[in-house]
Amino acid sequence: MGLSRREFLKRTAALTAASYVGINLPFKNENTSQASDADSWHKGTCRLCGAGCRLELGVKNGKAVALRGISDSRTNYGYLCMKGMLFYKLMGYNNPDRLKKPLYRKSKKEPFKEISWDEALNIAAKEFAKAVKNHGNNSVAYYGSGQALTEETYLFQKIFRGGLRTNNVEGNPRLCMASAVGGYLTSFGADEPIGSYTNFERASCFFIIGSNMAEAHPVLFRRVMRRKLDNRETVKVINADPRVSPTSRIADLHLQFKPGTDLALLNAMAHVIVKEKLYDETFLKNYATFRMGKKKEVSFEKYKEFLKDYTPEKAADICGGNITPEKIRTAALWFAKSEGTVSIWTMGINQRKRGVWANNLIHNLHILTGQLCRPGADSFSLTGQPNACGGVREGGGLCHILPGHRLVKKDKLRHQVEKLWGIPQGRIPPKPGYHTIAMFEAVNLGKIKAIWINCTSPAQSLPNCDKYRKGMSREDVFMVVTDIFPTKTTELANLVLPTAFHFEKTGVYGCTERRSQLTVKAVDAPGEAKPDVWIVREWALKLSKELNDPVIKKCVEPFLGKEPDYELPKAIWDEYTQKLTKGRDNDLRGATYEVLKKLPDGVQWPAPTKEWALKGGTDIKFVRGLDPLADKHAKDQKPYQFYGPAHPDKKLWIWLRPQRGPEEMPDSDYPFYLSTGRVIDHWHTSSMTGRIPELMRANPYAYVEINPKDAKKLGIKPGDMVEVASRRGKNILPAKVYVGPCEGMVFVYWHDQKESRMINRVTKDAFDPGSKEPEFKICACKIRKVSGPKPLKPFLVEMKT
Amino acid sequence: MPIGGFIVNVHPDHLENSIRDLKRISGLEVYGSDEKGNVVVVLEADSSKAMEEMVEKIMKMENVLSVGLTYFNVEDEIEIQEEQGKKTIH
Repeated sequence: MGLSRREFLKRTAALTAASYVGINLPFKNENTSQASDADSWHKGTCRLCGAGCRLELGVKNGKAVALRGISDSRTNYGYLCMKGMLFYKLMGYNNPDRLKKPLYRKSKKEPFKEISWDEALNIAAKEFAKAVKNHGNNSVAYYGSGQALTEETYLFQKIFRGGLRTNNVEGNPRLCMASAVGGYLTSFGADEPIGSYTNFERASCFFIIGSNMAEAHPVLFRRVMRRKLDNRETVKVINADPRVSPTSRIADLHLQFKPGTDLALLNAMAHVIVKEKLYDETFLKNYATFRMGKKKEVSFEKYKEFLKDYTPEKAADICGGNITPEKIRTAALWFAKSEGTVSIWTMGINQRKRGVWANNLIHNLHILTGQLCRPGADSFSLTGQPNACGGVREGGGLCHILPGHRLVKKDKLRHQVEKLWGIPQGRIPPKPGYHTIAMFEAVNLGKIKAIWINCTSPAQSLPNCDKYRKGMSREDVFMVVTDIFPTKTTELANLVLPTAFHFEKTGVYGCTERRSQLTVKAVDAPGEAKPDVWIVREWALKLSKELNDPVIKKCVEPFLGKEPDYELPKAIWDEYTQKLTKGRDNDLRGATYEVLKKLPDGVQWPAPTKEWALKGGTDIKFVRGLDPLADKHAKDQKPYQFYGPAHPDKKLWIWLRPQRGPEEMPDSDYPFYLSTGRVIDHWHTSSMTGRIPELMRANPYAYVEINPKDAKKLGIKPGDMVEVASRRGKNILPAKVYVGPCEGMVFVYWHDQKESRMINRVTKDAFDPGSKEPEFKICACKIRKVSGPKPLKPFLVEMKT
Repeated sequence: MPIGGFIVNVHPDHLENSIRDLKRISGLEVYGSDEKGNVVVVLEADSSKAMEEMVEKIMKMENVLSVGLTYFNVEDEIEIQEEQGKKTIH
C-alpha cells in the first residue's frame, strides 16, 4: 500500500531537516507513487530581516503552499526562523487586509475613495508639479525604505535627483544603520563590513555588543551558537549589554553596564590591550594611523596618553552594573589573544547620540590587535532590514549619497552620474538634501509640500513621533504612500497606492555581508496592486508632461515598454550595475540577473566580472588574492590594501573618542533610563507581522520590562498597568517584571500600533551629529503604577473608505 | 494541517533528557539525532497558529538553544482557507 499524502509530506519534512545535519534516516521518498509537494519551487530571499536567508517558495495552483530553506546558501544553510516561516501569509490571497486599489482623498479629514491607477498617477504628478512650480524643487521629497528592492530605490532616487532636481532622498535606514556607515567610513575608509558570515565558523572569540541577535537575527545566532557548542573550551563568547537577553545564554562573560557608558568600556578594553602590549605592532606600523580629526593625525604616544583616563578601575566606576576591572581585563585579553575575534553589533551601538564614535571604538580594538582581514577576525555590523545595505547604502538612497557609494557634494562624482544617465551636467544639485529628522522638521514647517513615502511608516517609527505626525497631518502637505497594508502613516496620507509584495514582483536585496540576491516573481499580486517600479515609471512620464520637462522622461527612457514583472526591474538592475557601479568599490557588473539566478544564494561585491561573480564574489575585502580590487589598486607588496574611497592615505584610522553619555540623562524628575527594541515575533512597526495572526497572538501588545528590584520599590506587580512618561509623551503599558533590564532602566518594544502603547511618542529625537541617526536607545523617563492588570486587545490600523 | 521539519538544537550534555521531553509534546515526532545536540523533529498541527504555539513551547524548554525551521508545508490550510473564502462569498 502506498503512503498517505500526509505521511509523504512528513517524510519530506524529516528528510529535508535530516539532510542539513548529515543524519541518515532509514527511509527515502523515492519510488513513492505520490505527487510532489508543490508544482514548482521558486528561489528567493526572506523578506524580513537583514540576514539574507535564502529559501524556496513552493507554489501549487498559483498559490504559495510550502517553504523550504536552501541548504547550500551561504547565508543560512537552509535554516529559517519563525518570522520567515510565516511571511507567505502576507501574500494577497492569504490576507484580507492587503491594499488592492488606489485610494485618494483631497482633504486628510475625508474618508478615502477608490480611484483608478490613471487618476491616481495624474493626481500624484499634478501635486508634485504644483509644489515644484510654486515652491521650488526642494519642496518635494522622497522617504524610502531598507525594505524596498534595489531597483525601486535606484529608480525613485533617479527621478527625484535627475528629474525633480532635488537631493531630498532619504530612507528609514537613517534610523537604523547610518552610524554604522559613519563608523566604517571614518575607521576603514569604506562602507560595509570587510568580511562575511563565514568568519562565524572560524572565530575563536565573539564580542557581541548592543545586539540581541538570538531574537533579532536567530539564524545567524544559530551559527555563532554552533561554533561555541562545538568548541566549548576554545571559543569564548563575550556579551556586552545593559540587558540580559536570550543572547546571553551562550556567553562565557556578560558585561552588564549602565546604558550609554559603553564608550568608556571600549576605551578601557583598548587601555588594557595597549598597557599589556597585546597590540599587533607590525599591523599598526603597516596599516594604521591615529586621529583626532579628519585632518588631525596624532601619534601612538598621544593615544596612550588619551587612554589614561580609561583604566579598568575608572571605567568600572563609570559603567556601573556588574562591571569590575577584572571583567574588563578578561574581555580585553580574550579579544586580543584569540586566533580570530569577530565583533557583532546592531542598534544598541548605532541608535545613539554618539553612535559613530561607538562604532569607531569597536573598530579601534580590531585595528589595534590586527583582528581584521584574516579568517575568523572581523568588525561586523548586522543590519536590520533586508535591503538597507544593497538598496539604500549602495543604491543612493540617502540625501548625501549617489549610487555606487558616491558623495553628492563631490562635483566629479555627481557629474559622472549625470553623464551616465545622459542628462545635462548640473542637473543634480550640489548640496545634499534633508536628512530624515530635518526632512520631517521641514514637513512640520511647511517647507516640504509634497512627499512620497514608500514602504515604511514614519508616523510610528520616528522618535518623538507626535511632533512629526503634526506636520504629516497638515492639509497643505500632499502625502503619497506606497505600501501593502494600512499603517499609521497611510492614516495621514492623501493618496495610498497598493504595491506588490515580495515574490509578487522581481528584484534584488543586498544583505549585511555585501551579498546581492535575486527574488523572481512567483505568484500574482492581489487586486490592482502593482510593482513599485511600474508606478514610478508611469508617474515620471506624467510628471514630465506636467512640468514640461523632457529630462524627467529621459530618466525613464531606457525602461519604456518593458513588462513590469521581470524585464523592467532587470533593465533597471542592468543600468545600475553595468554603468553606476563600474569602477566603484561595490562593483557589481558580474552580478547580472543570469548569474544571480545560477547561484543558490548570490554575489558578494566587489564582483567586477561574471567569472568572479559565479564563484560567489568577494568573501573578504582588501586582501590580495581574495579581492580583485585589492590587486587592482595595490600600491605596494603588502598583503592588505585598504583602497577605500574615504581615506586618502589608504590606512585604517584609530580614533581618540572620549566617553559621552546620552543627550538626556535620568534626573530627579525622570529617574529611569528608557530603552527600546524588538521582540522575536514582531518586526519594526508590525505593519506586516501584526497581520499574521500567529505572531500577533504570541505578542498581542507591547509591555514595559521592569527590573524586580525597581518594581518592588514602586509597588508594581506583573501585569499592572504602568505609565511610562518622558518630557515628550507618555504610554500606558502592562508591566513585565523581569531580570532583563538592569536596575534603573526600563525596556519597551516598539511594534505596537495602539497610540497609548506607541513608545516612539515617548522617545527622544536627539541625533548623532555625524550620522544624523536618532538616539532611540536611550532617554530619561519616569514610571508609576496606574492600576492593576486590565484586559487588553491587540490593535491594528484599518483603512476607512 | 501544516507540517514542519525542524532541527532543534539542544545542549549536548542533556541530549537524552531533552529528547524524552520533546517526545511528550503531542503532534511532535523525533526522527533522529546526533551527539552534537541536533534533533530532527517533525511537527504536525491543526493550523499554523497551533504550530507557532508548539514552537514557542519548545523554545522555552530547558536546554533548548534554537529551533531551526527547514521545511514548511501548508497546502491543506490554503485549501481550507479557499473553501471558507468561497463559502463567505456565496
